[in-house]
Amino acid sequence: MSDLKRTQLYTVHTSAGASMVDFGGWEMPVQYPDGIVAEHLYTRHACSLFDVSHMGRLLIEGPDRVAFLQHVLTSNVLALDVNKAQYCILPDKNGSAVDDAYLYRFEENRFLLVVNAANTEKDLSHLQSVLPAYDCTITDITDQWAAIAVQGPKSKEILSVLSGGQMLTEPMKNALNTLQMEGRTVLIAKTGYTGEPLGYEVYIRSADAVWLWNRLIELGAKPAGLGARDTLRTEAGMPLYGHEMGLDPDGKPMPIFAVPLAKFAVSFSQQKGDYIGKSALERQSAAFKRIMNRDFSDMADLPRRIMPITLLERGVMRGGMPVYRGGTQVGYVTSGTMVPYYRAEGEGLQTVITGETAKRAIGLCYVDSDLLENDIVEVDVRGKRLKAVIPACHMRSDAPPFARPILYRPEEEETAADGGGRFEKAVELLKRAEENHLWRQKQCINLIPSENTPSHAVQLLCASDPACRYAEHKKIKSFYDKDIFYYQGTKFIDRAEQLLTEEMRAYLGCSEVETRVISGQMSNMAVFSALMDWKNRLDRKHTPQRLGYVLNNHIIKGGHLSAQPMGALHDYIAVDPVTERSAVVNFPVCRDNIYKIDVEETKKLLDQYRPELIIFGKSMVLHKEPVAAIRQFVDQEHIPTTIMYDMAHVLGLVGNHFQQPFAEGAEIVTGSTHKTFFGPQRGIVGVNYRKEELKYGLWETIESRTFPGRVSHHHLGTQLGLLMAAYEMNTFKDAYQAAIIENAKYFARCLKSQGLNVAGDPAIGYTETHQVIVSVGYGIGAEIAERLEENNIIVNYQATPDEEGFTASGALRMGVSEMTRFGFGKEQFKELASLMADCILRNKDVSGDVEKLRGQFTEMRYCFNGSEFDDALEQLARRIGF
Amino acid sequence: MNFPEELRYSKSHEWVKNENDEVVIGISDFAQSELGDVVFINLPQEGDSVTVGEAFGDVESVKAVSDLICPVSGVVSAINEELLDAPEKLNRAPYGAWIIRVAEVSETEELLGSADYEAFCAAEG
Repeated sequence: MSDLKRTQLYTVHTSAGASMVDFGGWEMPVQYPDGIVAEHLYTRHACSLFDVSHMGRLLIEGPDRVAFLQHVLTSNVLALDVNKAQYCILPDKNGSAVDDAYLYRFEENRFLLVVNAANTEKDLSHLQSVLPAYDCTITDITDQWAAIAVQGPKSKEILSVLSGGQMLTEPMKNALNTLQMEGRTVLIAKTGYTGEPLGYEVYIRSADAVWLWNRLIELGAKPAGLGARDTLRTEAGMPLYGHEMGLDPDGKPMPIFAVPLAKFAVSFSQQKGDYIGKSALERQSAAFKRIMNRDFSDMADLPRRIMPITLLERGVMRGGMPVYRGGTQVGYVTSGTMVPYYRAEGEGLQTVITGETAKRAIGLCYVDSDLLENDIVEVDVRGKRLKAVIPACHMRSDAPPFARPILYRPEEEETAADGGGRFEKAVELLKRAEENHLWRQKQCINLIPSENTPSHAVQLLCASDPACRYAEHKKIKSFYDKDIFYYQGTKFIDRAEQLLTEEMRAYLGCSEVETRVISGQMSNMAVFSALMDWKNRLDRKHTPQRLGYVLNNHIIKGGHLSAQPMGALHDYIAVDPVTERSAVVNFPVCRDNIYKIDVEETKKLLDQYRPELIIFGKSMVLHKEPVAAIRQFVDQEHIPTTIMYDMAHVLGLVGNHFQQPFAEGAEIVTGSTHKTFFGPQRGIVGVNYRKEELKYGLWETIESRTFPGRVSHHHLGTQLGLLMAAYEMNTFKDAYQAAIIENAKYFARCLKSQGLNVAGDPAIGYTETHQVIVSVGYGIGAEIAERLEENNIIVNYQATPDEEGFTASGALRMGVSEMTRFGFGKEQFKELASLMADCILRNKDVSGDVEKLRGQFTEMRYCFNGSEFDDALEQLARRIGF
Repeated sequence: MNFPEELRYSKSHEWVKNENDEVVIGISDFAQSELGDVVFINLPQEGDSVTVGEAFGDVESVKAVSDLICPVSGVVSAINEELLDAPEKLNRAPYGAWIIRVAEVSETEELLGSADYEAFCAAEG
């Protein structure tokens, strides 16, 4: 093997006892003494290192770098922001792949293209042949920089030791960063070829490669070779050039759209213009769409596709084995192997990955495009036809920190619900409801920051007669904007709604309030719908344009779901034709405090994107939002925009103790009425437009997008209850809000002194809101929350801004509002902090102590009492039969 | 690498042991090491005839598949069913994990003694 190339890590591999093989002209480790199965499993439960220095690393620089890459790659290079990477394919003119690759943008003015080792020379000559038409250069830096893939659930923890705790990358897939690791510069990418939700590829100067490899081993990573790399990528369903791309076993070129990833890797953006193979790819794309719609009448441009395949009988599939449906050959296995996996027990979030392992024979196949998921096929395994199935996938990566094997399970027929015994079930339901009510109201300490218990008066009004009525109403211009009701019997609720509107105007400090929205999410949808309608009001002859750009808080940084493209923005947000993504940009956060918006960085984005809508507000919220600073900036820069503050969590804190959104410059406030506010579960929209202003029209559109746009009946019972809650809030807010802030700060301090890891800035007492966030350890938030529930303490498990999502949650999100309302003060929060520390840190059973503490505080505060009020309340309850 | 002296070996890396009137067959330490992790084994059934120099089954490692070549002709009198569920035993204890027993042996290929086989492996490896 003397003429083979060797990577910077060659001697590390041989001295670790690796078996070396020729791979694409490189002498590479195929496995270490532990073997492929052990290496595969170690990647899935801990962390493996892969030497990927053999892969070609090409630097593309120069004025025409974007135009060049747009021409030679399938992806939209303009959509690639700095510190992001994208999967791409090098197409040939017939729409087949020359190679697949990853494009990294670590710096503004350079791109790093990483290609397959065996294809590097071919790729280079292909790229060089196009290059003369462009003013840019390609430099092969394969020798100067080594590359190590660090993959598996422990990868983040291990690499974070070397970064000195500094955040490696943003938690999203394909995020990049440049970091110092113990004094050495590394380029780090949240990418990989194992399907691990936590996995990084690290680029480091050749001279430091051995150092990094050895440090990672010292910290608990183990080396893995090309064998495990192949079984891992096959299980993850990822294509390998030469198997799932390039030529098929018959020697015919495979179309790029045969690979499922093509959907993401191929762009037809106008900005991208013409490029190599584009027209062939457009034909493939058209065929792909037909096939996805199960129209198999014309599959000529995409006759076969790559799909996962699972053997249902004993055996192992290998690349090249024919696949049959009925008696007819429908394709080939392209990659096949036997992979090990850890068995799991339990369901849902309680799923536990056991130490017990098993194996399954899986693979990928290139089969006729009319095959569907769950189709049964046969594979010719060396003369024997074995039964196999086309499953949806072999594995999922969307529940970090672990990749989860998906085992093929034929659909089981659901047993029909037993029709009888409904009377008994009804009685049982009453008993269960009583049990639940008493547990949540008398025995549990509720710290969910999105919840509150309304007073008896509010609850009683909610259940009183309007609860079963309709009161649709609309302002009619012919009657000078007088509200016209469509139903009789509504005078009482009409008056109540007017009073509620007045109370909420006074509370929010604004000119107009819409109270008919029945949730915070609906409040936002009414506003987004109105903004879109308002934007298109002068042109009704075209399909309305959607909103874009919108500036919001990213969900991972604590943003509301109801302000995300996947949430309430979904039907109203435009797609940016350049990036081909939702036209949303996120508030940058401070480097030293990820819970706080970075105002100076935000100003740069405002100048760059000039968003038409700015949405403040978070569901994980420790700080005031910088409304005044941003208002001042957009006014000064004349950026035509609308500033909205989604106050869902902090609606009950509007005032001197927290923020006065309208006084600070917000135009629209939305919120839910049941988190820090005292009401039943509803929403609210307030605006501060005056009749003479142009944007008063936007307000009128919000009204019409509420009714008839969103609601027909608007839940009149809870609307009535909300009026009482508004009376309570306007009467008691000063004392209540002061107590909330004081309790939250004190609770945070007590948790900290109990040894818990409280998030936020100690200089301000960790929080400026009702919320307190405690980190309990990466990935175990849900487990701790479950333990607390067993001890009668109800909290949210929560992913912090540097975690990947809810299954990786390492924090608890808590709010003091409900317990403050039940009379908890400093003394009780101190005791609670100590009980929580016992439960979280020492796994002590504190359920009895919690119940006892809770039992002393069942009387609601910050609401009306006294004999006159109590008598009236009692009479209402008695006479309406509650 | 281990080459027990009491066994004889074929050039296709099976080991052979005579026990009473039967022949016990397995794969050598060298074979398992070359294969890597064995993840699957295909075995004949009791009563099947086997022929010298022909495949009587196959073993699959993560990497590849290899035929098991029979060093004798005869009738399969027993198979090691444990291996069907735990083929990794071939890696862990190649000389403990017998694969088949053959009775009514009519023909046997020329087998190597331990020292000769070790030399043969050294030349191959």
